[in-house]
Amino acid sequence: MEHSKKTKYSSGDRKDSPADGGAVLNGHFDGMVKRPAVASPAAEPGSHRATSSVMESWKEERTRSLEDNEMSLPSLAAAYTTILRGLGEDPQRQGLLKTPWRAATAMQFFTKGYQEKIIDVLNDAIFDEDHDEMVIVKDIDMFSMCEHHLVPIFGRVHIGYLPNKRVLGLSKLARIVEIYSRRLQVQERLTKQIAVAITEALQPTGVGVVVEATHMCMVMRGVQKMNSKTVTSTMLGVFREDPKTRDEFLTLIRS
Amino acid sequence: MNSHCNGKVGETAVEEFHCNNGFSDLIIDTKKSAVVHRKHETSRKEAEDESRLPALEAAYTSILRNLGEDTDRDGLLRTPLRAAKAIQFLTKGYHETIDDILNNAIFDEDHDEMVIVKDIDVFSLCEHHLVPFFGKVHIGYIPNKKVVGLSKLARIVEIFSRRLQVQERLTKQIAMGICEALQPKGVAVVVEAAHMCMVMRGVQKMNSRTVTSTMLGVYLEDPKTREEFLALAMRA
Repeated sequence: MEHSKKTKYSSGDRKDSPADGGAVLNGHFDGMVKRPAVASPAAEPGSHRATSSVMESWKEERTRSLEDNEMSLPSLAAAYTTILRGLGEDPQRQGLLKTPWRAATAMQFFTKGYQEKIIDVLNDAIFDEDHDEMVIVKDIDMFSMCEHHLVPIFGRVHIGYLPNKRVLGLSKLARIVEIYSRRLQVQERLTKQIAVAITEALQPTGVGVVVEATHMCMVMRGVQKMNSKTVTSTMLGVFREDPKTRDEFLTLIRS
Repeated sequence: MNSHCNGKVGETAVEEFHCNNGFSDLIIDTKKSAVVHRKHETSRKEAEDESRLPALEAAYTSILRNLGEDTDRDGLLRTPLRAAKAIQFLTKGYHETIDDILNNAIFDEDHDEMVIVKDIDVFSLCEHHLVPFFGKVHIGYIPNKKVVGLSKLARIVEIFSRRLQVQERLTKQIAMGICEALQPKGVAVVVEAAHMCMVMRGVQKMNSRTVTSTMLGVYLEDPKTREEFLALAMRA
């Protein structure tokens, strides 16, 4: 898909706008999640227009390149210098001399999820396997940035899915987490994006994602509650419909 | 600036500490009295915070755009303002001085045994990457006829931690602040923190912790006193 500076910022004019009018936020279709048809044995849910548009946007999204990073570094550094002055600090003192550049590079690293596409990460690691028992990868460390305060969020992600003849390389689950977490995020959206990406890649019988995180915006400022954690979950397919499957998943991630 | 008045203070009890350090870029005239020393200049006045917000907001808007985000989307509409206020809060130590918070809470008490306040949660910003680091501070001191309200120790931690910091300097500034306020027989400060700049980026070592300590006065000279503090404060 062609990528120009103009379309980088206006995420609403994609050629594959979803039918239900959901906005394309955070580089990924974020409208109503269409659950894959549970009874359908076919790999491609092509009959539903909105779902196929989700498929396309999932395969083709990319908002930033390495060249973009290089070119935006000076303006980022200038913005950080302004911030240092605005806080009453002296940007010329020894400890702060190169801070604008370091902070700019750090921030680009914390949002490197915008540079990556799911399709690049997953392309070869989907295998046909006659396995239909639950697969769980738990305690995946996750680091994100709160999009409201630009302050870190960190915690753990637990993913479980029931394969439908296709399994995924295990580290690819962690890579999906990385792509979506290294962005300006809201925990609810992060959880859903991970679940939807796995659903679209594998068309499994069901997916469950639980994210448990600490928000520095609540701990370091504002209400300042040190020990609070936020837990969000997304259950799709048989995980949503069958309470016993969901129970099994939740029990296994807890132990 | 993130400096704390240092150099030799004119009180005899404190002179024994040899608490010279070269952290400050300001040269303090050591002939001034200790009282004047403690009223060190704040680099930011609280009243100025409002007037500085627009510049900070503009800087954050620029940052969001340069990261490739769409500043008109719903979740980001007021983010520059929120982020500007957040970072002002996280650096509010710049407009606080020791005197403001300590003024009335020093009491004459005939106590000369160790006083320890431990497990004080500390949150600061790494001055190199502008990314948080956080952990716990353990403070111990041996009073010399003057004790301080216990929460004031935590407030001293707040003043110095809510700044752009380096963990070594933070530890030293806390120790020096207590030293100058109370002139105790000894001060010990241990800071144990996790640095997000190491955990979230760079080497990405999840479980690493950095521990720094400053021992002044009798804690520096007498190993047994130091051991007692470490045994009591660092006990799990």
